[in-house]
Amino acid sequence: MYRSNGFISFLLRRVTGIALVLYLFTHMWVIGSALQGSQVFDARLAAVQTPFFKFAEVALLAALFYHAFDGLRLLLVNWFKITDYRRSLFYAAFGLAAIMTLAGAVPILVFLVQG
Amino acid sequence: MSDTANLRIQRFNPEVDRRPHLETYRVPLTPDTTILDGLHAVKAEQDGSLTFRRSCRHAICGSCAMNVDGHNVLVCKTRLADKVAGGKTVTIRPLPYLPIIKDLVVDRTAFWDQYLRVKPWLIPPDDVPEKEFRVTPEEVAALQNAETCIMCGACYSACQVVAMGKRYIGPHALLKAFLRVLDPRDAAVEDRLREVGGDDGVYRCHTIFNCIDACPKGLNPTQAIETLRGLAAKRKALEAARRTRQAAWSGARAP
Repeated sequence: MYRSNGFISFLLRRVTGIALVLYLFTHMWVIGSALQGSQVFDARLAAVQTPFFKFAEVALLAALFYHAFDGLRLLLVNWFKITDYRRSLFYAAFGLAAIMTLAGAVPILVFLVQG
Repeated sequence: MSDTANLRIQRFNPEVDRRPHLETYRVPLTPDTTILDGLHAVKAEQDGSLTFRRSCRHAICGSCAMNVDGHNVLVCKTRLADKVAGGKTVTIRPLPYLPIIKDLVVDRTAFWDQYLRVKPWLIPPDDVPEKEFRVTPEEVAALQNAETCIMCGACYSACQVVAMGKRYIGPHALLKAFLRVLDPRDAAVEDRLREVGGDDGVYRCHTIFNCIDACPKGLNPTQAIETLRGLAAKRKALEAARRTRQAAWSGARAP
């Protein structure tokens, strides 16, 4: 492995991308069940209300924000020819994703505790 | 500063070894010693079978690109003292992601094949001006950057996309393609952009920036690839503009 900032960002981008696709299937499994009536839908919705899924939601949020901000970073590089700022942009994308994840994690975890 | 340094060198003899292994050697150290000097010291005084490529010793031939402590560098211009400060051992490996022939020598066939694929030479128009092609200073400046490439392979072997498959044209060849596409004298812009805009070209780049980090000449293949992406999307318009410009040169010399 040729280790570098770029490699870490590439690896995270790939992993979060795959995670988001996998999430999409879970999402459709839950939402799609509405076609089979409210009982099935409620049952499936209840199945993903466990603490495990709450933490998984926080992870999903992290993956989503990182993937989005890292993608924006590459678009910025493409539009404004700013390859010189590749490292600072990577840290910025990472930092922004962390802040947004924290901001979203608080209500999710509060909901988990208080119900 | 101590007067010796430890070099940990990856060794591989295809006739004996099943896989590469690391061996440590102690070499004399002065403030001026380069890593290449260290390798020479090992070869001359400790183990004559140590195999590596080198030629000019002043960072212009591109032979001695190797992976030093995880980064691709030209060992002839890398000071050993910087790498072993504080008594550290420096680790020297061949360029990653390429087949190893022996010790620090890698097989660069894929590298050169991709280079030839983009036809890195100038293809002049049929109708050349009598005296000269006119090139603006801005164009010269843009071209000079790409022309400084010494074909050492540091960027190619640092590229994660190359690591995943040798179909990708690679940053070195795309930089050369960029050079020719931007050269106002070249007459094959549309063909070039069709090639680099294809499946194995600029859109395969994941913008990992390893090529910039690895380049010992401080060049920017990533920016060249980004620019080519934009140009590939409008290759027909670019070709037409080039033809108009070349026709204007030819017309200018007519009475």
